[in-house]
Amino acid sequence: MQPYLALLVLACLVVASTAIGLVLRRSSGRVRGSADDATPRISPADLGVDAVFGSAATLVQFSTSFCGQCPATRRMLGDLAMADGVAHVEVDVTDDIGLAARFRIRQTPTTLLLDAAGRQVARIGGIPRRAELQLSLAALTATA
Amino acid sequence: MTRPIPQHRTGIDQRSPRFGAAITAVLLAVTIVLELTRPAVWFGYATYDNGPFAEVIGLLPYRLSDPALWLFAAITILFAWGAFAGIRRHPYGALFRAVVRPRVAPPVELEDAAPPTFAQGIGFAITAAGIVLQLLGVPYALVGAASAAFVAAFLNSVFAFCLGCRLYLGLRRLGVLRAPLAS
Repeated sequence: MQPYLALLVLACLVVASTAIGLVLRRSSGRVRGSADDATPRISPADLGVDAVFGSAATLVQFSTSFCGQCPATRRMLGDLAMADGVAHVEVDVTDDIGLAARFRIRQTPTTLLLDAAGRQVARIGGIPRRAELQLSLAALTATA
Repeated sequence: MTRPIPQHRTGIDQRSPRFGAAITAVLLAVTIVLELTRPAVWFGYATYDNGPFAEVIGLLPYRLSDPALWLFAAITILFAWGAFAGIRRHPYGALFRAVVRPRVAPPVELEDAAPPTFAQGIGFAITAAGIVLQLLGVPYALVGAASAAFVAAFLNSVFAFCLGCRLYLGLRRLGVLRAPLAS
């Protein structure tokens, strides 16, 4: 292959990688609403944790030991859970693939926002965008 | 079922793996260009009469004299180093501490070493497979493996996105990984 063609292949790789990176960056941390009354209620027992859910909202964070962004997410969600009626529950699915499959966890951290009844209101992949999440939380604590 | 996430593990500066990934990406780019500019010979060297492996064996000296292969082998060894000796003992980490760290602000937070170590293992698996398949004469095996590793290293260094870390759950769910590698 001619050197300029080889460099063209390399340039294509760089462009493709950049495109993938930009798409990932755009979707990462977005608060995706998924509210409907048919959503089954989630209880601490479903998650296999011994924790108390919040009276207004609960942030369920799924983590693994191999997750680089989980500590930062833990800090942010712990901070948000300082508010009244909001709880933060972290679930480690490193050893429990069944649980990860049941909640369709494809990446960690994945955070589920539950309302007072334990219904899933939103789902966030990656480090949550704080402002977006605060808006969703405010809506829940206002109605509770 | 659940266990507390270990907090006591010594952390690493999260910029260190990104710095290493940048060097890896540059080396992989050189590998790809070197390999693509070298005349490729895949088939047609021997006839089937000489046995099924005659072609693979006959072309082995040509494939082994490929500079791109040796550069790629060095990258593979560095991945193995990170995966099996741990990311903290990796030479790029030492280079980061010696050259970069004194010149930048102290780290905002320390990151767990398990995710990047696991990702190095994924990198090793992909690059090692590339070398074996290349030597067996699979067309563009080296370029393919180097490209996959390049995309991962690029995303890691530029976007701080660790593809290898993300693969953990998927590989567990597919049953490729049976048990956690680190504890």
